[in-house]
Amino acid sequence: MSREALQESLSAVMDNEADELELRRVLNAFDDVETRDTWARYQIARAVMHKDLLIPRLDLASAVSQALADEAVPAKVSRGPWRSLGRLAVAASVTVAVLAGVRLYNQDEIAGVELAQQTTQPGLTVPQVKGPAVLAGYNESSQATGPMANGVLQGQPGWHDQRLPGYLRQHAQQAALKGTESALPYARAASQETR
Amino acid sequence: MRAIPLLTLLLSGWFVVPAHADEAQDWLNRLSQAEQQQSFQGTFIYERNGSFSTHNIWHRVQNGKVRERLLQLDGSAQEVVRIDGRTQCVSGSLVAGLEDTPDSSARALDPQKLKNWYDLAVIGKSRVAGRSAVIVSLTPRDQHRYGFELHLDRETGLPLKSLLLNEKGQLLERFQFTRLDTADVPDDQDLQASDECKTVALDSNKASAAKIAQAWHSDWLPPGFELTSSSAHKDPQSKVQVSSLMYDDGLARFSVFLEPLNGEAVTDTRTQLGPTVAVSRRLTTPDGEMMVTVVGEIPIGTAERIALSMRTVPSTSKQ
Repeated sequence: MSREALQESLSAVMDNEADELELRRVLNAFDDVETRDTWARYQIARAVMHKDLLIPRLDLASAVSQALADEAVPAKVSRGPWRSLGRLAVAASVTVAVLAGVRLYNQDEIAGVELAQQTTQPGLTVPQVKGPAVLAGYNESSQATGPMANGVLQGQPGWHDQRLPGYLRQHAQQAALKGTESALPYARAASQETR
Repeated sequence: MRAIPLLTLLLSGWFVVPAHADEAQDWLNRLSQAEQQQSFQGTFIYERNGSFSTHNIWHRVQNGKVRERLLQLDGSAQEVVRIDGRTQCVSGSLVAGLEDTPDSSARALDPQKLKNWYDLAVIGKSRVAGRSAVIVSLTPRDQHRYGFELHLDRETGLPLKSLLLNEKGQLLERFQFTRLDTADVPDDQDLQASDECKTVALDSNKASAAKIAQAWHSDWLPPGFELTSSSAHKDPQSKVQVSSLMYDDGLARFSVFLEPLNGEAVTDTRTQLGPTVAVSRRLTTPDGEMMVTVVGEIPIGTAERIALSMRTVPSTSKQ
């Protein structure tokens, strides 16, 4: 790399106009004493031009380097098999958490879709009824849905209104009548009939 | 000599963990035996989203015969009488839609099998209906079923309380005794069905059931779920032939209903009623459009996947 290109880059860094490549080039060359001197000279020139306060020959970088060199190196921690197993466990649990998060997120999405579905359908029917008729119509339909009136089936006109309560009942009864482990399926079936 | 107590300590430490899982299994075994061996009477509540009801139960085991009567105490007096797990009579609106219920025998709780799909553990103790109880949790190993928390009577192993929990730990339903008497055996009068209880004759139409099971199959089922019964009946209102298939994993159950649409325009839906979901999906078959409806105590995503996986078996391959 030519000296001039480096000096141009140095100048650019100082003016805060360097791109990523130039910054890298300067940092790589910074171990070189000559480069550091050039940097210091540029700083002086800049300070003079801007009438800034300047402490000449203040070399923080070498002071920091010196301090680092003097410091005792911490003893290397021995890494047994348990430690790596622990790390593996952490990694695994993070993966599980991420997967679980994705799943929950997806389910939220499903619930969202479901909500959207349930809200659009009443939207289709409502404009046709006006004024007090809304109340009358609503009462009638909640009567018709019968046992399902407390459920989520309201606002789904037509086919599902007729079929789903029957299907729910049939499922609960078949489960109850199979005479399984406890009275739980019976209670479920009975609860389908309670308003 | 000092090594011996140390060795015992080490060994006992080794056995503690598996013993924990076995303890839960033992309690579930006690639960399934208790229903066959223990007479009791009591009152329980059932609660789910939008519904709360109270019921009486009389349960008598005599000469190896199990006789049971259940009666709802609030609202309509719904009643069921069972002998050895077979329904003798039902009352109230429980009758509707019962005509063609296949008469299949009950499947007992099998902890050994449940262990494949649930993690069993004793997680603590509690007190229900004035009795001390052991809490056994059944945590699903996958996302295709819900978890249970059972509070079993320490003395008899009977289920005093049962909670159904979804994957976020939210309560979906509660079954809980408020009074349980295991000392007094119910007498004949307690077990006598009222006049409103209508006798049911459940005839098993095995031929038609087998045909339905052959005509349909599922490309995908949640692991552990098996077909336990199938039936077909004509809807009294619409005169449409509806096939139904029931699956369970030993604890959770779902039904699949299949009905021809005959050109009706119907939208796909999903609904949730307490612990029970219902998912409807349209399916195009060689015989026209069908509606597949999955109803059961399973997560909504699983029900959806089952609904989308139902297929007809081409009639040529039936022979």
